Amino acid sequence: MSIEKLSSFLASTYENFPKGRTISLVVLRTTQSETIFRTEGSGEPMSSEFVQAGLENTEIIPRLVMTKRKQIAPERRKGREFLRQYNLLYNAKGDTICSLNTNAPCEMCIDCFLYGFAAGGEGAQKSRVWTEDAFSILPSTELIGDRTINALYENGTMRDETGKASTALNTSEYIKPSVHFLDIVTLKDVTADELRYAVGNILLTTRYGAVSSRVGRMDNEILGVFGGFAELPSSLELVQQVFDLLSKTDNVTLEHPLQKDSVVNAVKSIINQWTNKRGISVQLNEEELNNLVADIDTNWSMEKQEEFLARLNKTYESYRQIPAENTSKKSKGK
Amino acid sequence: MSHLKSDLAEKKVTFPTCKKAQIIELWCAEPVFFASRELSDTYYTEGVIGNYALAYALGWAYSPYRLTGTATTKPTYIEDLSDLDCYILPAWAIDNHISYRFERFNALSDAYWFAMSNNRVVINREDLPLKRTGKKPSSYRPSNFPQTGRLKMIERGNLFETIVFGEVELPEYIRVGKFKSKVKITVKKESLIEYLPTAKYPCKTYLNSADLPENISYFSFDILAIPPVSILKNLQFEGEAWRIDDFIVPANLKFCQS
Ligand SMILES: [Zn+2]
Repeated sequence: MSIEKLSSFLASTYENFPKGRTISLVVLRTTQSETIFRTEGSGEPMSSEFVQAGLENTEIIPRLVMTKRKQIAPERRKGREFLRQYNLLYNAKGDTICSLNTNAPCEMCIDCFLYGFAAGGEGAQKSRVWTEDAFSILPSTELIGDRTINALYENGTMRDETGKASTALNTSEYIKPSVHFLDIVTLKDVTADELRYAVGNILLTTRYGAVSSRVGRMDNEILGVFGGFAELPSSLELVQQVFDLLSKTDNVTLEHPLQKDSVVNAVKSIINQWTNKRGISVQLNEEELNNLVADIDTNWSMEKQEEFLARLNKTYESYRQIPAENTSKKSKGK
Repeated sequence: MSHLKSDLAEKKVTFPTCKKAQIIELWCAEPVFFASRELSDTYYTEGVIGNYALAYALGWAYSPYRLTGTATTKPTYIEDLSDLDCYILPAWAIDNHISYRFERFNALSDAYWFAMSNNRVVINREDLPLKRTGKKPSSYRPSNFPQTGRLKMIERGNLFETIVFGEVELPEYIRVGKFKSKVKITVKKESLIEYLPTAKYPCKTYLNSADLPENISYFSFDILAIPPVSILKNLQFEGEAWRIDDFIVPANLKFCQS
């Protein structure tokens, strides 16, 4: 099991004080359908920012941005679907079950311990999962499509029974499929099972951005796993290095859609050089990385997921300070 | 507090306990947000990165992952920082140039049904009929915890500068602010700290008002009133001083002196 190679940077149990143990993941996020990321409300343009194209190529280009909060919220939700299914969410004040952003975290579930909560003055848990804004490799101008939405009435026409025309005629922007975002995720002082939980959430989450049944499909792939006592370079620097490298690589045309293989090869050749950097101690090799993903898939498999989550849930037992009878719907302790 | 002060007075030395300083540049790889002040539903970040935040970000002191009881409202800067033999100034924007951006934040529930009430996301659907009769179920009462609003943030790509005193090895990247934004550190210059005798000096750096030594006189300064302690800039003072390259600061700067 290649998770052992990371063991000096994993905690054996949850501890309250930081110890500088860092696991970092390089994640490639690829849109599988039309996707919508906005910083302001609906009707606003897609989130993009003007940044330098590469580290060497100093041209300023607009890049699509998937902000850190656009990543973490759906991934937390994914994990919480399983916690809810196996009754591993606890009761918060007012007898409501632990829920995100409603001022009623239970402070006791896996999600609360790992991703944190702020309960308005009473207590707080800092998140140990840190994300970064992720950027598209190519300029956003190539990656945005336009669509006119015709809202039909129930009678299937653009006019209602009284003959009034539909006003719900709208042009809306979307991010095209096959757009690659590069991302760095940092896990601080996590245990092996917390690592499995967090990575599982990333691999299992398939929808991001403005929610609808037809848009927002995304595929996540882990391209690198590092252990050390320092953080990797920023996702912006990574995307810039990849841009520089791709523009120099023969047979790669810098236009949408990029060949996934070229992207993956470029990313891997760049991150392989990071091991010499200060504070970055180990990188899983290709085989170890595959083993780690297989290990995570096994623990999340239909047969194993309940046992895996119950085992992780149990590790926080001594930190839950209220008597057991006050918590409801607890899994039967194993 | 009083016994702490006398301890510090005894320990006071004129010559710097540390010999070296590093002038560093901070590059914001991500937008940086501190809740410096609030106006209506907008939360503003001042154009400065406080030196206490930097000391924690550099790993000089640790605050726990879980805060309970009074710890959530009462920080432990004095306990955490005052014994350190290294020091860092608040970081200021290079060339005084700083750009900001606004961003909307919106809490979303993980429930299929939810409603936004008085700055609060409600998920108890069974309270809805009660609320429609004019009653106010507790799930609909206002929240003192912001769930929607706008953030004024320091934009990605801004450059800050500051000085680190003492022989410390610095990480390449740190995380600062409410959203743990990644910031890259580059050492621009290493310099010896030179002692300057009592005289009148202008100071070009930012200073933390709680970290200044007692025995200096102030002539003028601008103040940035931000929590937890006010930051001073353009200070003209009389007293002993340290020179680091082109910068002159009051001598004997130390965390939490006053
Ligand atoms: Zn919870």
